[in-house]
Amino acid sequence: MSSTTRSKSHVSVLTSAINPLANPRGAKKLCELCQNLAYLQCTKCRVTFYCDTEHQQADWVGIHEKICQLLIPIRTAMPFHSLQADRDHHRTQILHRQEELIEISRAVAQKKLFEGKYQESLPAAQLSLRCAMDVYGPSAVQLVPAYLLLAEANVGLGSLSQAEGYLSQAEWTVMKTPECSQTVRHQLHRNLGRLYTATENLEGALLHFANDVYYASEEYGLDNIVTCGGYFLMANVFIKQEKMDIASSLYTEVASTWHSHLTKLLETHTPGSMTLEHFFDEAQQAEADQMLRAMLKVPESSPKQATAQNTLVAHSLAMLWFLGGSPDKALEFGRKALQFSQLVPDHSLTEPIQGLLQLVAERGPHLTIAS
Amino acid sequence: MSAEFTPRQKVTFLPDINKPGQERTSPRSRMQKKGKETETAQPARSQTPTVSKDEIALFRNSVRQNACVEMLRGGFHRSFSELFSLLQRWKEIRLAAGPGSAIWQHKSLEEQPAKLHTLRHYLTKAETALRAGAWSAVYDQQVFLAQYFREPEDRWLSCHFYQTSLNSARRVKIDGGRKEAEALANMGQVYMEQGQLDSAREQYECFYQLTAGRAWRSEGGRSLHCQACEGLWRVYTQLADRPLQANDYRAAIDTLSKAFQMAKEAGDHRIEGEAAYRVGLAYQCVGDQVTAKRFLNMYMEMSTALGDAGGLGKAYKAIAKSLESEGKLSETVQYLEKFAEVSQGNNQYHNLEEACMCLGVIFNSRGQYERGCTYFERGYEIARDLGEVPLLQRAQVFVGSARAYSMIRKYSRSIETASHSDLLLLTGWKESRQNVFTDTTGSAEGKI
Repeated sequence: MSSTTRSKSHVSVLTSAINPLANPRGAKKLCELCQNLAYLQCTKCRVTFYCDTEHQQADWVGIHEKICQLLIPIRTAMPFHSLQADRDHHRTQILHRQEELIEISRAVAQKKLFEGKYQESLPAAQLSLRCAMDVYGPSAVQLVPAYLLLAEANVGLGSLSQAEGYLSQAEWTVMKTPECSQTVRHQLHRNLGRLYTATENLEGALLHFANDVYYASEEYGLDNIVTCGGYFLMANVFIKQEKMDIASSLYTEVASTWHSHLTKLLETHTPGSMTLEHFFDEAQQAEADQMLRAMLKVPESSPKQATAQNTLVAHSLAMLWFLGGSPDKALEFGRKALQFSQLVPDHSLTEPIQGLLQLVAERGPHLTIAS
Repeated sequence: MSAEFTPRQKVTFLPDINKPGQERTSPRSRMQKKGKETETAQPARSQTPTVSKDEIALFRNSVRQNACVEMLRGGFHRSFSELFSLLQRWKEIRLAAGPGSAIWQHKSLEEQPAKLHTLRHYLTKAETALRAGAWSAVYDQQVFLAQYFREPEDRWLSCHFYQTSLNSARRVKIDGGRKEAEALANMGQVYMEQGQLDSAREQYECFYQLTAGRAWRSEGGRSLHCQACEGLWRVYTQLADRPLQANDYRAAIDTLSKAFQMAKEAGDHRIEGEAAYRVGLAYQCVGDQVTAKRFLNMYMEMSTALGDAGGLGKAYKAIAKSLESEGKLSETVQYLEKFAEVSQGNNQYHNLEEACMCLGVIFNSRGQYERGCTYFERGYEIARDLGEVPLLQRAQVFVGSARAYSMIRKYSRSIETASHSDLLLLTGWKESRQNVFTDTTGSAEGKI
């Protein structure tokens, strides 16, 4: 109850009603999200319009709160400048502002996608697409990342036909630009693979993931964490196809890549500072966490292999949370890793795990280590 | 698109006389028959020929991408990473070598689709075997690949696969190390070809230890132990070259003696003989002629047993050299004559010429200028037949000097006495340059 009253007052602060009939002739105000006739106007910037309060709320939470003021110079009409130089200057300024807007909206959409908030990421993604279209034209290759974001959001929401539409648009644009970068290509194929997995077209998914891994290896190298993200997705498909041996060998690959990457990061971290630098942003961290936890859950064919891999995975998770700044989770995973390492005949990992637990203890003296 | 397209019916005007058994013969009836046929054929023809996505990808993408994607689709990620890293490594080597080097002109693997396909096929087979844990199958595939890349520009690929085959052979526990032994032999050979003698030695020594006491046979029927011994012999012989060049004779002798041991153990007389020869030569360089002669005699016996005339000739020459440095000139002469005989029997004219020259020099040094002269002349004739100018010139010098030496005593005596007959002799000689001095007296020689 209170939420609705609060939202109503919230609404009344931010928006004011407008009458479509009162608009000047030929100037139709359209809703930001659905492009219908608009009945509400944002009071803060006065250049954004909505058809009803629902859409206004969604847009505010999605992106508008961050970019309200930035929209004003872009959407107001160009003032009169008598000199050509002034007009050109104005135009370049507007271009800069639009590019900034594209970047901000893309970053916001990406963050929300990694957090799993698919519905909320839609306004941001749509804005980035529209701005990119304004700046670069309707079929430029710079639109492809925006298409990919929208497709990912739709796959997460389950509206697969929409996602397919966006992805085919993206694919067509990439095909028309032969000098497209390999990063874009690998992202495209990854999203296509995700779509096909969701639609249960497993062979197609495998084809696209194969292309994704190829392009990612070309761009980043064979041992990079980006490439092994592709391997993880492929392994999921193989599990669906009941080919457990292939899946387990892929998981081993992913686990060892992440393990070596994190060990390297830990080595560079420990000799020096007490402060934690940001080694990877929250998005990558969330992704890695999800991947590694999924690998822990999968049952293995031979128990010996299982414990060895579980040791690696648990150790990696411990390092990940330690570097990510939450020592209690690091402790939990570290203890699990120690347990697993004792079951394995080859005790090479016991020492590093114990070292890590020491570090965690140093960081938080109130935490106790139970051996 | 072609669903509604009805092709014009081709009907022959005259009936076909070659096909027997046709009843209707008028064009109209033939058209009716043709119509029925085209109706049945049309539904099949109405579909436009479609190209599948795979074929499009084959056409559009590079060969390398197609190969990699095929491998990944099958789940062969290890094969993919191996192929990828191999291609990457080739590019790096090529870049590092720079535009002027030999490797710059070579075609990369990507431009040779046949090789890429073979690689893909066998790598995927190896990976399937690896997943099943059948390490010996993995080893077989890798050895096949190593032997497939025989060309000199693919030598590095061959080496890489021999290395990986050694690793997988080490995992094969069932056959008691036999595959490991074979892999070690292959690696040793590879290192020898590359010139890395120390690594080759290590590999061959491991191979030797593994095969000691085991009666394994390779496909050709040769015992693996003999192969090990032979391999070690070769390595030691080559290893001895370095100290020989540095004049470190002791070290050379040690290595060469080890080589000789190995050759003896291998049981092959030919290489045993050669090893003995090298050891003998090394002892000669040091100055220990007795031991040298012992080894050289061994070599001589073995060469005679094998009927190896070239080897026999070399043995005689070396023994003669030993004897010469010991100062036993008559025996030297004996051996040199044997050398000359053998070379003549074998038509080895260079050796024969050398033998004649040496004999001539020895006779000269002993004062037997006549015999020296004959040998020099024989050498000269051979050099002339061979047509080699330096040898020819050398022979000419020797012949001339020998003839001069043989004449000098008489000549100087004639000049001193200056009697009438002597003067006649001298002028006769000046005119014709024949050797008139020794002919008349015949006792001028032999006076040392």
